Amino acid sequence: MSFYENTLVAKQDLPKSELEKIKEKYSDLINNTSGKLIKVEEWGLLNLATKIKKYNKAFYIHFKFEGSKITLNEIKKKIKVDTSIIRHLIVKYKNLDTENEYFKKER
Amino acid sequence: MKRKSKKFLKKNTSSLSKLSLFQKSDGKFNRTCPLSVKNAPIIDYKNISLLKKYISENNKILSSKITSVSSGKQKKLTKEIKKAKILGLI
Repeated sequence: MSFYENTLVAKQDLPKSELEKIKEKYSDLINNTSGKLIKVEEWGLLNLATKIKKYNKAFYIHFKFEGSKITLNEIKKKIKVDTSIIRHLIVKYKNLDTENEYFKKER
Repeated sequence: MKRKSKKFLKKNTSSLSKLSLFQKSDGKFNRTCPLSVKNAPIIDYKNISLLKKYISENNKILSSKITSVSSGKQKKLTKEIKKAKILGLI
């Protein structure tokens, strides 16, 4: 078991109800596959630096969790199929810091 | 009046000591690393305001010769900048 951070970049033209569905879907996935969710952050609608798949803006959702290899494989499988997500990034950490939130002011 | 004239002379001598343009200047460029001081900011791909200082106008990573970052921190910086570029933050 080790700590991970997962950020999802979702499409610009999604309604609010679907964003919450994505949030629930991945938080349930982590909890059901021998993982433990620690924190969820919503960074909101941000400007992209360059165009990605013809989109200028995107929604950002950030997960902090503890898990094993099984949880990671499950998440990667689901992201590949999901059409509403443009990009994602998973980073491994030794110690998570839950205090600093860099995108809180820009909301 | 006398004092003023003395100052003027001193300045003149300093500029005269440099004989040619190709002589090395006396100014020191060896500054200390700004990221390995006490209470230094955390290098992370979410901390965009810090990462933007170490990027040129064309989104290229600046070399450590210009910014005087230590070699260990420069390796960390490049990794975090590349992560931020994947997400489209920079």
